[in-house]
Amino acid sequence: MDSLVASLKDIVGSEYCLARDEELFVYECDGLTLEGTRPLAVVLPDTAEQVQSVVVACREAGVPFVPRGAGTGLSGGAHAVPGSVLIECSRMTRILEVNVTDRIAVVQPGLVNAALSTAVAPHGLFYAPDPSSQQACTIGGNVAENSGGPHTLKYGTTTQHVLALEMVEPDGARVRYGSPTGFAEGFDLVGAIVGSEGTLGIVTEVTVRLSPIPEATETLLVVFPDVPSACRAVGQVIQTGLVPAALEIVDQRTIAAVEDSVYAAGLPRDAGAILIAELDGAACALPPEVATIRELSESCGATRFQVAANEQERSDFWRARKGAFGAMGRLAPDLYVHDAVVPRAKLPEILAAVCEIGDRYGLRLSNVFHAGDGNLHPNISFDRRDPDELERVMKAGREILETCVRAGGVITGEHGVGIEKRDFMKLVYEDQDLLPMLHLREAFDPQGVCNPGKVIPQTRFCVESNPHARGYDRVTFE
Amino acid sequence: MSAGDLRAALEAELGTDAVRDTDEATRATGVALLAQPPSGDGVSAVLRLLGERGATALIRGQGTQDLLGNTMDSVDVLLSTMALRGVDELDRQDGVVHVGAGTTLGEVAAAARPEGWELPLGAPAESSVGGALSIAAVGPRHLGQGPPRDCVLGLEFVLGSSERTRCGGRVVKNVTGFDLAKLYTGSFGCLGVIESGWLRLQPAPEVATQRVAMVAPEQDPVGLAIAVSRRPSTRCCVLLDDALAREVGAAAGEAGPDEVLMLVEFAGSAPGVEDDVRWLADASTVRELATDAVDALATLQQRGETAVRARLALLPSNCRPAVGKLREAGAECIVYPGVGLVYALWPKPSDAAVAVKAVTDAAVRFRADARFERLPFEHRQRLDVFGVGVDLRAAVERMRALKQRFDPAGVLNPGRFMGRL
Repeated sequence: MDSLVASLKDIVGSEYCLARDEELFVYECDGLTLEGTRPLAVVLPDTAEQVQSVVVACREAGVPFVPRGAGTGLSGGAHAVPGSVLIECSRMTRILEVNVTDRIAVVQPGLVNAALSTAVAPHGLFYAPDPSSQQACTIGGNVAENSGGPHTLKYGTTTQHVLALEMVEPDGARVRYGSPTGFAEGFDLVGAIVGSEGTLGIVTEVTVRLSPIPEATETLLVVFPDVPSACRAVGQVIQTGLVPAALEIVDQRTIAAVEDSVYAAGLPRDAGAILIAELDGAACALPPEVATIRELSESCGATRFQVAANEQERSDFWRARKGAFGAMGRLAPDLYVHDAVVPRAKLPEILAAVCEIGDRYGLRLSNVFHAGDGNLHPNISFDRRDPDELERVMKAGREILETCVRAGGVITGEHGVGIEKRDFMKLVYEDQDLLPMLHLREAFDPQGVCNPGKVIPQTRFCVESNPHARGYDRVTFE
Repeated sequence: MSAGDLRAALEAELGTDAVRDTDEATRATGVALLAQPPSGDGVSAVLRLLGERGATALIRGQGTQDLLGNTMDSVDVLLSTMALRGVDELDRQDGVVHVGAGTTLGEVAAAARPEGWELPLGAPAESSVGGALSIAAVGPRHLGQGPPRDCVLGLEFVLGSSERTRCGGRVVKNVTGFDLAKLYTGSFGCLGVIESGWLRLQPAPEVATQRVAMVAPEQDPVGLAIAVSRRPSTRCCVLLDDALAREVGAAAGEAGPDEVLMLVEFAGSAPGVEDDVRWLADASTVRELATDAVDALATLQQRGETAVRARLALLPSNCRPAVGKLREAGAECIVYPGVGLVYALWPKPSDAAVAVKAVTDAAVRFRADARFERLPFEHRQRLDVFGVGVDLRAAVERMRALKQRFDPAGVLNPGRFMGRL
């Protein structure tokens, strides 16, 4: 493999090809830290041509390769497999074109999500998908995961905003799919590629739709005695036909963690739950919508209703919400962020069941989630050095997912399957349902060299990851 | 295998009631034998049987788009999804509905409306859900409704190789596995047959109202329409040549030379709509429409009698020059500047050669994604009607790789879609 590393250094330059143990250590996992595998090498290409050359070199050496953005993914989609080359696109950060008239932008995959909105804001535009990690995660990673965020409820996920892609396919071909018009002829290959977790190729350029900054925005903070009351209010809002930009719920344990952290925003510590609701659109249309949410919230037991008085307050509300995951670092050394979706009307009963599971296993479980989409994020704070606690975390996680699936839900709404949930896919799908996923995968990558072992459960993939690395060997999966 | 043998085999699988000769309504497809399976298992059985015998099928819903697509190789069976019909479940709290592929959009709308929801699919009401999704039908309200793919949450889908499968689900956010529903929507029945699906509804607006205005060339109709399209409550904004405006009942008096009619629909909350109506009244002389010209336009756009109809998708900034060139070539145009869609119509078959040249030139010059939705048979034989004027070899190659895996025996819609798959 020394010759491959030499070739990679020739392609990207020695400085951008990492192959020493101490350099590779930080690349052995992404945001899913429970498991990890050290890659053979990491390359940081700067251009699509370099990506293409790296892929060709890997192919010629018979080495699998794994694309990676900022490594913020939570399902292990960017984990290396043994003997693989990690292709990190974080140097490809250029905004290649902003077409204000037609409201589109062409960007490289390593561009940080929030940087695009910042760049186009002077034109009255923004890039709508806004994962909580938007200050770090990249557009390329968002494409791989079909990332969502708090404003998915109104604006949709990444797939609604990607018009065209350039990608290096697993055979080394550099191709373009889709069209900036949004009406590409033929199969919707862009729709299939977005959310494929980097298994169909490596995206090297993304054409995205930009949205107009709304004329007005109202951000509301509503205090409830408990989470089920807040969930009921969300259900009623949805049923009225209102489409807020966001409906987010934060529970009491999360509030405490946030208020103890640098993200503190003056949230009421005695609240059982808070609902952050955001409305946007024409200024004249918002007051009645605010009144409707107030009325529905109060009918569900809300004890306080606050409309952000200015941009600072609005920003504080969102800082608290988006900083919640970071704040939980105070609670324990490790955090397991789950990501399931249920029909919105079932939120109250599912949240109650989730909390019961956490209590039964004696775990510190908190909830901060996209209630408007029915997208739960039960977060379990724990210490992986305690084998017993780790085992309880894994068992509780599985029960939570099973509960959500039984309610008509699914095992992931925005974090992806990766390796974390690959073996849970069969909770949702029968074997024959996985067949077309294999067909899609094989149509792009018949040799299975691009990000192998992700998404689709297959027995032969199981040996490719190292269960001893992070304690998984001590955990019993069904 | 003879036609008689095939019929006997189908009858053995489905029963005699589900197999018959095509009638007056369906014979125009050029297929003699019709199979209408009553269930997903029936669809699977038909596909398995056809695959084993090297026979082929044309998938059909309500038949509103029989003329769409390339000329096909010989087809043995018309496979109708119309027995897969019904609104199985409508979750009024969540705004989602599960329907059979043969259910018409009108039937879904009728079930949804009393619960305060709308189905955001733009095809005419008599179209089937399966058909509208298979061709990714675009209607006049595309601006407000979004593309058909966005309303598909999950599908039950019988692969060309006959396996019954499921993708997605009933929840509104889902990345559990690859997004196959996107791949299937708009795949023209080349990969499999939609059996049923979960669809996301949109809240019915508090208020919806239509306005028309005559716009003279010096008022920059395309620029004005783009501005109108960007108002928060605009659900449809279209420019129509005078004859087309009259056809949909939207004419606003005598048209001056080169004047076009702008038809606008605002929908949403009352204050928002009122605000936009006021804004439009300040920008142009408008008249309120009592009839639903937008629905009429949906029908005209997809089913109107014309020899040639081309659809060009452009960046909004390219609409103005592209429409100019198409009109110079004699086209009547339906223009949606806000979404960059132009329908160019030529009434007479003898216009076809001119139309092909004009559309091809416009596609190349203005980087349009263009297709012919109507074109005389002899031209369709020579020309791939999808992706006119652009090099789509990479996409076609990948489409072939997919087709080989999903429909290895080549049973479904042979030759109909792009690349004559």
